[in-house]
Amino acid sequence: MKMRRLLQICVVVTIAVSCVGACVAQDFRVPDSATAGEETAISTSGGGKGTFYLLGPGVARKNDVTLGEEIKLSSQDTRTAGAYTVILCSDSCHSAVFFVNAAKPTSLTFLAHPSRVPVAQGDAVSGVAFPFDQYHNLVLAPATVNFQITAKDSSLWSRAVRAENGVAWFRTASGKSAGLVQLTATLDDLLTRRAVQQVASDACNLRIMGERTRTGITVQTEPVHDCAGNVLPDGTIVTFTSIGPHGRGTVDAPIKQGVARAQMEAEGATTISAASGVVLGNEIRIEARP
Amino acid sequence: MKRGDQRRDRGSVRSSFILAGLILSLAAIPVSYAADANVQVHLNTNKTGPRAVEPLTERGILRDYRFAWASMAQALQFNTLDPLEGPFQGDAKQWLRQTIMSQRESSLSRRYADQSHQLEAVFYAPEGDVIELHDTAQYQVQILDGNKIIQDQHIVMHYVVLMTPGADRWVVRQLQAVPQF
Repeated sequence: MKMRRLLQICVVVTIAVSCVGACVAQDFRVPDSATAGEETAISTSGGGKGTFYLLGPGVARKNDVTLGEEIKLSSQDTRTAGAYTVILCSDSCHSAVFFVNAAKPTSLTFLAHPSRVPVAQGDAVSGVAFPFDQYHNLVLAPATVNFQITAKDSSLWSRAVRAENGVAWFRTASGKSAGLVQLTATLDDLLTRRAVQQVASDACNLRIMGERTRTGITVQTEPVHDCAGNVLPDGTIVTFTSIGPHGRGTVDAPIKQGVARAQMEAEGATTISAASGVVLGNEIRIEARP
Repeated sequence: MKRGDQRRDRGSVRSSFILAGLILSLAAIPVSYAADANVQVHLNTNKTGPRAVEPLTERGILRDYRFAWASMAQALQFNTLDPLEGPFQGDAKQWLRQTIMSQRESSLSRRYADQSHQLEAVFYAPEGDVIELHDTAQYQVQILDGNKIIQDQHIVMHYVVLMTPGADRWVVRQLQAVPQF
């Protein structure tokens, strides 16, 4: 009987002694918030050994730790913004979550549309900018992005836009002059450029002239401009149509250096007209060969 | 034992094998479908701007976001990279790959269940080349160290999501948890 009592006491004492090392209640404190790529620490209390787990975007770590000591998280651990779960296990497991916020912006992603646009078109040019930190986290903190359109170092348009939910955007009309324009998005000292080619719009006052030659009729346009005076780009097609005693014929001719030319075969009196896109030009009549 | 009993036993063993085979094949075939079906996604486009979200686009986003979460859950549970090919691109894909590699090294895994996502489209670019979503996600997540569950918790989490249209689907480019919107 005495022997059994002694054994019971021994068991209780053994458990108590072993618990001094491991059964001290553990507690820990995670940071209220942290910044991506910055070192931070988790303070623990209690004593003995424990197992520490860190699970977050881009990290899943497991370490043996001594309770009561601070657990350091390196800048590598917290590079990605998001939610991090900390679990500390000794006799039981406890968990907490903390958030890592994006660091300050170091790049500006700028999507601009289109790359080629006719002049004087309403709401034809748009741009969207997203600020990112050096670890490619989307920066959600309020910021003002300045958008600007420039041509040959002169500003054509600009607007300051407050980024909401990590995005700033604009939409505006294309300019009046054909040529290359630059779109820029600026945030503090960050600047991103995009180029947009503004091209002439539809032809305006399309006029043609023609003369009979030995082999037929030569027709050509006057220099083709849009309504803002921009020369239509090379390659724009002008369609010449002839109507004569032998019927109807059409010839497509590309504009070269502002002028489209065509040679048409036609006997007898012929009426010739021209069109470019939806724009119709004048009609001319070439009389029959005398 | 009588000869008739032996025959009956052989027959029942055979039918048990057939039944087990059927169950196994049924369980194996629709793994991705089953995972996908367990993800509930609702999308609200009432406050979206500047571009309106067309019904077909909405359907595509719902389908592809659901698939992305099902794939992510599968990847993080089995520590395999294959499910990330397709639904994720860019930074989201990169950190997910890192997470899986890191989980493999530490013998950790995560098991997601009962996912429900309330999506709100907050920005749809004028040219339709990027959409920003706010996701209030709820799910049960188990964290496992080897085969031991060290945490089993119901989570409500807020995510800021950037999706862009790919050749045949919408892909997740940014998936960033935030304390609140």
